[in-house]
Amino acid sequence: MKVLRKIKDNLFIFTVAFAYLVMFIFKPQMGIDSIINSGYYIKEMLMIMPVVFVLTALLDLWIPKEKIEKHLGDESKIKGVALSFVLGSVSAGPIYAAFPFCIMLLKKGASIKNIIIILSSWAVIKIPMLTIEAKFLGPKFMIVRYILTVTAIVIFAAIASKIVQKSDLPAKEEKQKSGLLLNTDACMGCTLCSKNYPELFYMKSQKAYINKNAEDINLDFLRAVIKSCPVKAIEYNIDEDEV
Amino acid sequence: MDIFTRSLWIGTAMFLIVSFIKNKSKTKQALKMALGMGKGMLGSILSIIFLIGLLLTLLPPQEIALFFGKQSLFIATVASAALGTITLVPAFIAFPLVGTLVDSGVSAVPAAAFLTTLTMVGIVTFPLEKRAFGIKFALTRNGLSFIFAMIIALILGVIL
Repeated sequence: MKVLRKIKDNLFIFTVAFAYLVMFIFKPQMGIDSIINSGYYIKEMLMIMPVVFVLTALLDLWIPKEKIEKHLGDESKIKGVALSFVLGSVSAGPIYAAFPFCIMLLKKGASIKNIIIILSSWAVIKIPMLTIEAKFLGPKFMIVRYILTVTAIVIFAAIASKIVQKSDLPAKEEKQKSGLLLNTDACMGCTLCSKNYPELFYMKSQKAYINKNAEDINLDFLRAVIKSCPVKAIEYNIDEDEV
Repeated sequence: MDIFTRSLWIGTAMFLIVSFIKNKSKTKQALKMALGMGKGMLGSILSIIFLIGLLLTLLPPQEIALFFGKQSLFIATVASAALGTITLVPAFIAFPLVGTLVDSGVSAVPAAAFLTTLTMVGIVTFPLEKRAFGIKFALTRNGLSFIFAMIIALILGVIL
């Protein structure tokens, strides 16, 4: 059963591993080629992800919520749009590198429209890429495509912000212990909480849960855990408990 | 490493040093958080990467591109936009490839559609995006990006 559960939780990983297995049995050369092809992306990931994670965590701790809300929130208007384009364009790396960064901004009050602009410009508008494009396809092609892309992003970000509401984002809150909330949808299974406070948090299927049998809550421990959660999935309302 | 990646590393390192001088424990916590994020995403990212490697072997970009060249303009545009959504192809492969195609007489319209969906729409990264932002967000963003990629391509075809 345990093995089955593990497979179910990591279905995507196992599917890919299985595809490789089949390939190595029937077409070993293609399997080797696939690994070689993956090599470039692994290098790309190692070059960008560590710095994105560290930067995201640092910004998370040092930049107050009000600042993000003011500059990238719903009220930020055209300045927020411009800032989002700058953030997206000076970035590096593939689109998934933007995910942890954007989750952090969303939690701190950035608007959906601006997040879509950051994600999309992170993906298409890369200044080093523009020079390569101009070299191979001509500067005219590059400039026209660039202008059209920026316009398109502004338009569809506005459309998307009408379709997607903040309530559609993973934020269903689970009330499990008096005043203590753990957003299981946001949890990405980093195990920090269960490591720092194993009496109160435990991991199941790569998600954190609150141990309902825990006797009393050590507030100092809990505060540290709440702060350390990279996706801010844990909340505690002190007024519901006598402190 | 291009200059943007390099400056990102340098900037982050400086930020880290300043942060460490200002508040040691906060910085340690930040590093712990970063490590936690990395652990949380590593499995998904690695499987995405190996899937892309597999797809590139099964569907080599060169052959896909040759296939476009033989189709009618409309089919070529839709097909190239659709194929572009499947993987992430690095710029240094995509641009020279599309460049040679345009030189050999293939229209710029499917080329532009392919280039735009290649980076902006990701079927392979969809599970990760869904987990991060929810299914509605991921569907809306990818769907709109796809539609607009084709609009961009068509307008580009008219202008150039």
